[in-house]
Amino acid sequence: MTEIQHIRNLLEDKIHNEYLERHIQKPIIHEGKLQILAELVFSCDSLSIIQKERFVITTMMVQMALDTHDLVPIGNEENETKEEKLSKQLNVLAGDYYSGLYYYLLSEIEDVELIHTLAIAIKNINEYKMKLYYKEIETFETFMDVTKQIDSMLLVRVARFLHGDELNQVISDWLLTERLVHEKIGATANRTPLLVQWKEMNIDTSYKTGLNPIDSLIEKQLDKVDKALSQVPGKYAAFQSLIRKKLENMSFYQSSIVEEG
Amino acid sequence: MRLPKMYSFLKKDLDLIESALHQSIQAEHPVLRNASVALLDAGGKRIRPVFVLLAGQIGNYNIERIQKIAVTLELIHMATLVHDDVIDEAELRRGKPTIKSVYGNRVAMYTGDYILARALEVVTSIKDVQVHQLLSKTLVEVSIGEVEQIKDKFKWDQTLRDYLRRIKRKTALLIATSCKLGAIASGLSERDAGKLYRYGYYIGMSYQIIDDILDFTSSAKELGKPAGNDLLQGNITLPVLYAMRDQSFYKLLREIFANPSTVGDQEMQQIISELKKTQAIKQAYETSDLYLQKALKSLDSLPASKAKQTLQDIAKYIGKRRS
Repeated sequence: MTEIQHIRNLLEDKIHNEYLERHIQKPIIHEGKLQILAELVFSCDSLSIIQKERFVITTMMVQMALDTHDLVPIGNEENETKEEKLSKQLNVLAGDYYSGLYYYLLSEIEDVELIHTLAIAIKNINEYKMKLYYKEIETFETFMDVTKQIDSMLLVRVARFLHGDELNQVISDWLLTERLVHEKIGATANRTPLLVQWKEMNIDTSYKTGLNPIDSLIEKQLDKVDKALSQVPGKYAAFQSLIRKKLENMSFYQSSIVEEG
Repeated sequence: MRLPKMYSFLKKDLDLIESALHQSIQAEHPVLRNASVALLDAGGKRIRPVFVLLAGQIGNYNIERIQKIAVTLELIHMATLVHDDVIDEAELRRGKPTIKSVYGNRVAMYTGDYILARALEVVTSIKDVQVHQLLSKTLVEVSIGEVEQIKDKFKWDQTLRDYLRRIKRKTALLIATSCKLGAIASGLSERDAGKLYRYGYYIGMSYQIIDDILDFTSSAKELGKPAGNDLLQGNITLPVLYAMRDQSFYKLLREIFANPSTVGDQEMQQIISELKKTQAIKQAYETSDLYLQKALKSLDSLPASKAKQTLQDIAKYIGKRRS
């Protein structure tokens, strides 16, 4: 069994709740984030194996808690069915349950500092989510930046906690790139695609959508990641190699899409 | 004597906590900030901070340390309320519109998450892992309790044990934890902290049972919601569990609730009236009183002090609560 699979099993085991699983959708484990997180944490020689596992599991749990709360509908539909109501209620509670578990599992290994770090990340993510919810965004660039912050804040904070600030840029730009590519192939995982969200905001003053806007966005992002990756110090060779491999796969994927038209 | 008067000697410290609570929810986003402040300003008994302070006064009282615990407990309670209003689709809380009703579900979710994050940010300035292990375990239990409450809705064959386990998670654990954390923060021995934990636990059980009784015996005006609302929502509480031992009441209840969505005011009035004819209310008060006696007994061996006297007075006050 691979390390990632082992962590995934541990995570699924920890959040297991029969009643929740019967009535609401199982939380999605973001594979890309899990891989990066595992690389960040497992490269820290000073951590014990239990610490490493818990760091990855709890950060992913926080992600799940936040994602699950985003499944709660904005308003209460008049014709809400019994099942819809139950699903809404359980999504609220499941998110709270995962939040409690993250705190519990880190307190078990006596890591108060990471509890603190993740709490600050959650606080900041919710501030950004409010900005997005109230459409307090003037340009497309700001919109992309806020989205990037919401998506990458947890991993960036953990990276900073373990390694300092040297990997932040690559992580946040990579996650945005990966999201765009997923959207291009239609793998939006319960989320409204970014360009659709932007269009719905009705603020379109600065960003002109071209013939294939997502391709140009992806290209731009790939360049950014490539550039940021070249600035990463050599001591993070394994991390570089992981992202480089992902980039290569993506470039290959990009070119095959272009060829196929 | 009214409850706040019993602990009026804590006023200075409670004011400090109130001010720290305000400071801790000053979000950057105006809606996040206003929603949190409005919830805080809507009042509430601040009973958890009071228990933290009182337990703390029995030991080596240090307001700076104690304050962080008290603020954390109240913030956690607030975060739970915001999310509970989404679950219950509540329009009013303490007579004021809920965050969910003013800003919608999504903002309520973000606000609850924000407040919980602030609670954890505050409490992690305390490095004592015992504090975090106890508090986090309680948080997990509370959320499991909420899931169980939904699972047990309209489950007519549930047992007394199911009910007691549910109210333990719903109410008693957070009060017990408040007391114990106050004790730990004041350097009390594990033994004495345990006594205060048990006091909080028993008080919480008693308090919740009386709350469940009042749902049937108080008027809609006193409750701020229709009488019997818990049952209408499917929550089977102690008075109902006792009343169901009466076969004719059980039969009536099952007939009326054969289709819960059709149950109206008239049917509820009929159920309440029939429930009152059974021994259920009296028996539920007796059970609550048993917990109260246990709460008082838990304090027996602690040295005499104003704080101990106040904890005893609060227990007696809770026992006499009739509205």
